Amino acid sequence: MEKMHSVCLAFSAAAFLAVAPPVMAQGNDLSVGRKMLVEDNPGELWIDQGKDLFYQKRGPKNVSLEQCDFGMGPGKLEGAAARLPRYFADTDRVEDLESRLLTCMTSLQGFERNALIKQAIGRPRTKGSDMEALALFVTSKSNGMKVNVTLSHQKEYDAYKAGEYIFYRRSGQTDFGCVQCHGEPDKRIRLQDLLHMTNKAGAQEVASTWPAYRGAHYIVRTMQWRLNDCVWQMRLPDLKYGTDYSIALTTFLNHRGNDAVMNVPGFKR
Amino acid sequence: MADPMKIRATLQGDTADVRILMRHPMETGTRKTSSGVVPLHFIQSVIVQHNGKTVLDAQWSQAISQNPFLGVRVKGAKSGDKISVTWTDNKGDKRTDEVAVAAGS
Amino acid sequence: MKKTWLKWSVYAAVGLIAAGCASYPDRATTQQLAEKMVFDAFSASPEHMKRLVQDRSQQICSKIGDEKLTQAEAAEVVKLARASIKYPASGKLVGDWKTGDKLAHNGAGDRIRNGKVENRKENGALCQNCHALAPGEINVGNVGPSLTGYGKQRGNSEAIAKYTYEKIYNAWVYFPCSNMPRLGATGHLTPEQITHMVAFMIDPQSPINK
Repeated sequence: MEKMHSVCLAFSAAAFLAVAPPVMAQGNDLSVGRKMLVEDNPGELWIDQGKDLFYQKRGPKNVSLEQCDFGMGPGKLEGAAARLPRYFADTDRVEDLESRLLTCMTSLQGFERNALIKQAIGRPRTKGSDMEALALFVTSKSNGMKVNVTLSHQKEYDAYKAGEYIFYRRSGQTDFGCVQCHGEPDKRIRLQDLLHMTNKAGAQEVASTWPAYRGAHYIVRTMQWRLNDCVWQMRLPDLKYGTDYSIALTTFLNHRGNDAVMNVPGFKR
Repeated sequence: MADPMKIRATLQGDTADVRILMRHPMETGTRKTSSGVVPLHFIQSVIVQHNGKTVLDAQWSQAISQNPFLGVRVKGAKSGDKISVTWTDNKGDKRTDEVAVAAGS
Repeated sequence: MKKTWLKWSVYAAVGLIAAGCASYPDRATTQQLAEKMVFDAFSASPEHMKRLVQDRSQQICSKIGDEKLTQAEAAEVVKLARASIKYPASGKLVGDWKTGDKLAHNGAGDRIRNGKVENRKENGALCQNCHALAPGEINVGNVGPSLTGYGKQRGNSEAIAKYTYEKIYNAWVYFPCSNMPRLGATGHLTPEQITHMVAFMIDPQSPINK
């Protein structure tokens, strides 16, 4: 009886060891699979979609987006996305890539702003929105270049500090600010790794991997979408599209992510 | 209707490492939306040819995910060889794209 | 000629001064700017907008960067937290662990899309998102400490039941400004739901303690 008891104990100890406690994604089979997904990313198929939309004459004014100024002068795409968000004199505000696209699509092409916003976030499993494809195309023109968000205009300084404030601002029934999930290393929600955004490497990943292919949705997603989805989980109300709130957060994170090498589309779960 | 594929073929020694990204809904026929069940729509066959000779002939099912990826390693390839990929789906839609094998680095 | 030169150098000086004046806003200005951004950013009914209004404890606990929580602030948060605790009408703090198990794995509830709150029978307790639960479960987070063996380690006395209930109701009683949501105090979970969570934590039959 005693012998059987110690055998049982040994067996259950071995069983416990065999069924290991939840492991971190880094350095195990999950990370191998994830690396493979990044290397062959279906999101790349959206780049040409965006390119076609960019050069096509569209909207009531029937013009392309070639004269759009993304911060380096009209029509200059290479490296422009890596410097966003930044201040634009024509709108007198700090704009991220998506708000800049909205500005150009309304002022140059004559589209109606609210109509664009309504379509800006695509439904999963579809071709996605024009905005998603365009944002990816324009950002891909910065691939291989370093993130370089500078602060020189007062509104850029304001956006950075406001974004930082918002990052730490706790509210709602979850008592969550961004920092509750993104303030420590090696954390995850269920099996989804959380970027440590108060750390240089984490901020660099944020700044260099959007827009990204969202595997579970089979579609390319943008930073505006990502922020919208975060506040949804935080039990906050619907985040409007292209808000100063979102641009401030993006300015804060991207500036912190300076010197990361742009590499889009990223790949998210 | 069929969207272009993205194909990369890089020489590694005497083997071409071919990586293919396809754009296709790959509907299983069991997904429900508010307007009912989405009908079956998936790539049924994939053929990969090397300089006109078939090197892979695959029969796929609806179990494969949307926007599938296929990796193939083709032995006996040389730089400049033609790799062509054709998929056909259950609705009879077809798409062929080809690429030249690039020298490895 | 001299006048033009003077005019342009004044312009240049003004330009330099204007450019050089750009700098980080101080904390008070930042707060003002950011709070305005917050309240302009959401599309919501007045009822839902309340979710963005910070209570006193949240204001204290929104420290930026390396800002430290003072002893006085911590004490205030603890005091407010203790005052918030409500116990179930029945007085019974330990419910049914099977119900608690289901709730622990339920990450849904009270999320808003297109102005509407999601249609769920009840709010989930969200535990699995951040905590390891039963031994061997893989799909669990690590934002919070592991709860595996919680009851095994602490027993299931009345004192432990009370502590566990209070911790789930308002974690900030025991750890001011903890990352853990004040599930009961904010109304995300009802007192009755929390009794099932307590059972899930301390009942010897619960999978957590196997």
